[in-house]
Amino acid sequence: MTESTLTGKSMDAGGTGETMIELTGVEKWFGDFQALKGIDLVVGKKETVVVCGPSGSGKSTLIRCINRLEVHNRGRIVVDGTELSDDVRDIQAIRRETGMVFQSFNLFPHLTILENITLAPRQVRRKPKKEAEQTAMDLLTRVKIPDQANKFPGQLSGGQQQRAAIARALAMEPKVMLFDEPTSALDPEMIKEVLDTMEQLADSGMTMVCVTHEMGFARAVADRVVFMADGAIVEVNDPETLFTSPQEQRTQLFLSQILVHPS
Amino acid sequence: MTTTDPATRTSEPAATPPSGGPTGMAWVRENLFPDVWNSLLTLTLGPLLAWGVYALGRFLFVTGRWEIITVNLTTLMVGRFPRDQLFRLWIAIAILAVVIGLALGVANSVARAAAVESGDDYHRPWHEPIRRFGPPVTLLIVMGVFVRTATPLLLLAAALGLAAVAYRLGRMIPIRRRGQVNLVVILGVIGAQLAITGFDGVPRSVWGGLLLTIYFTVGALLFAFPLGVAVALGRRSSLPVVRGTCMVYIEFFRGMPLVVLLFTGWLVLPFFLPPQFPTPDIVTRAMVILVLFTSAYVAEIVRGGLQGLPRGQREAAQALGLSPWKQTRLIILPQALRSVIPALVGQAISLFKDTTLVLAVGLTELLQVARIIPGQEDFRGQGLFAETLIFVSLIYWVGSYWMSRESQRLEAKLGVGER
Ligand SMILES: Nc1ncnc2c1ncn2[C@@H]1O[C@H](COP(=O)(O)OP(=O)(O)OP(=O)(O)O)[C@@H](O)[C@H]1O
Ligand SMILES: [Mg+2]
Repeated sequence: MTESTLTGKSMDAGGTGETMIELTGVEKWFGDFQALKGIDLVVGKKETVVVCGPSGSGKSTLIRCINRLEVHNRGRIVVDGTELSDDVRDIQAIRRETGMVFQSFNLFPHLTILENITLAPRQVRRKPKKEAEQTAMDLLTRVKIPDQANKFPGQLSGGQQQRAAIARALAMEPKVMLFDEPTSALDPEMIKEVLDTMEQLADSGMTMVCVTHEMGFARAVADRVVFMADGAIVEVNDPETLFTSPQEQRTQLFLSQILVHPS
Repeated sequence: MTTTDPATRTSEPAATPPSGGPTGMAWVRENLFPDVWNSLLTLTLGPLLAWGVYALGRFLFVTGRWEIITVNLTTLMVGRFPRDQLFRLWIAIAILAVVIGLALGVANSVARAAAVESGDDYHRPWHEPIRRFGPPVTLLIVMGVFVRTATPLLLLAAALGLAAVAYRLGRMIPIRRRGQVNLVVILGVIGAQLAITGFDGVPRSVWGGLLLTIYFTVGALLFAFPLGVAVALGRRSSLPVVRGTCMVYIEFFRGMPLVVLLFTGWLVLPFFLPPQFPTPDIVTRAMVILVLFTSAYVAEIVRGGLQGLPRGQREAAQALGLSPWKQTRLIILPQALRSVIPALVGQAISLFKDTTLVLAVGLTELLQVARIIPGQEDFRGQGLFAETLIFVSLIYWVGSYWMSRESQRLEAKLGVGER
């Protein structure tokens, strides 16, 4: 595959064709170590992009740059028309529009599930308590754990916690959802309930960037799959093509490994 | 045994439940004489212990000349506080009784509501209040023994009654008004001090005894706690100047013996103040030193709590778009403080005991009174130090023990390390 076709695939917005996230030439260093080596990627509105690749390839770093949990050193990141800069207002604006779900859930253990979900809408969006709680209950119903509302995170199973974390992110009514290996800390029987929630979310037209190695999920939901290695995008394609006839050797190697040892 | 594992039950149907433990001789053999060494230990320590208990009991109830406490009870409580102004103290106690009662009442209804919401079954065993208030009540009873007239007892009972009424009231206050209740508590504390010093009252320089000890403990805690939290946050600031300043602050005050600091505040500080600046009185200076000293320790404790939090907590708060200050106030601090409650209470206990050191700068707090009164004309040369020291020890011990018990209760309630 030539340079130009790769760029073409990664820079073609999927979904509705309009651009939601645009990364151009994004580089990130941790000290002397370059974790991202010039990432170009466009994510279209209502598109679901799955990012996969070997450990340490920079997947987390990539999506953490999108909401400024990491600061990129070079290149441009534009989310819904706002460019990330050092301006705190731009950062806050982008974070308000971007929900994030973490591998380790990161629910606030000192607050109930309901408080976890209503916190940001009340504090950031200044929603009245009643309204925020109403929305929270609707979301909890959507992720199928309405009866856990008044428990503390520690009293829930991993799968329930992750669905609560998804509800918490959704409560801010974000335009983009970022997922960083949302199922890799879960027992196998809980993975499905979280993937179902994510699939349902993608079907509802949410723009999503998911770091995951769940092939089934990628096949069913992703518009495009991005394969990364060593801080660079190696290959971008629709899931069927990428999984069945990968063009690059790196991709083939990686796929053969995870098919032997599914993660 | 109320529950049995079903597996064991089926495999050993004939097993009888263990009885309530060995009794009589069996207990003695098992616990006191299980082998040669333990028997030896029992035979040596047993008589020693028995003799100690006997000697103490004999002193407490037979040979001790407790009239020195009876005569000086007021002095132990308030030092040289003018006796015709004692009514101000009672007013202050009444104010404090009301606000503390209110605060406890509100705290109780908050706990109740939280328990109901999270589906826990909120019930307190009937003996909980007895266990909680046992130590201070015991102390009050001991003091009651030494009281000569009924007036203080009646007034104390009245104050407790006030507190009880306020507690009931506090439980009726809607939870969303608890912010205002906090304000009332702060106003009450200020009001209590004003009731004593204000309106041509008694300046703090003549306060003494337990009054001064409590004043230093509570006052220093009230200021040292927020200051310490602020310094701990500053210690982790991204601004090098702030971080450096806070680090120097912590290391300086932790590296100095409290007595040295107190002497410095007493003797050296006046020289550094500009001449037209009025030198604050010695109580203020001692208070400031106690605050600075304690806040440095509080800062280190809180910093430990901050460091112990997983990084994901702040990241999750950031990702939700909370402002940096709200991330800290709503997510980071509540968790960090919860995790260090035991250490913070330990610091409070230390402070309570360390207030004895203000006697070095000429203040007559509780311990100093205990040292002075055996030299009074009536008792001079009779060496009644044991009586007074035992009496103040009891006060320090009950205070410390109570604080540590309350902290354990708080920990259990907040489920430190569970949630
Ligand atoms: N805070 C950091 N400081 C230094 N190096 C870091 C930091 N975060 C990540 N790295 C390095 O950057 C590289 C990319 O890390 P990243 O977490 O993005 O990988 P990943 O693809 O998400 O891997 P995994 O599948 O294991 O989560 C790794 O080599 C990692 O060691
Ligand atoms: Mg990762």
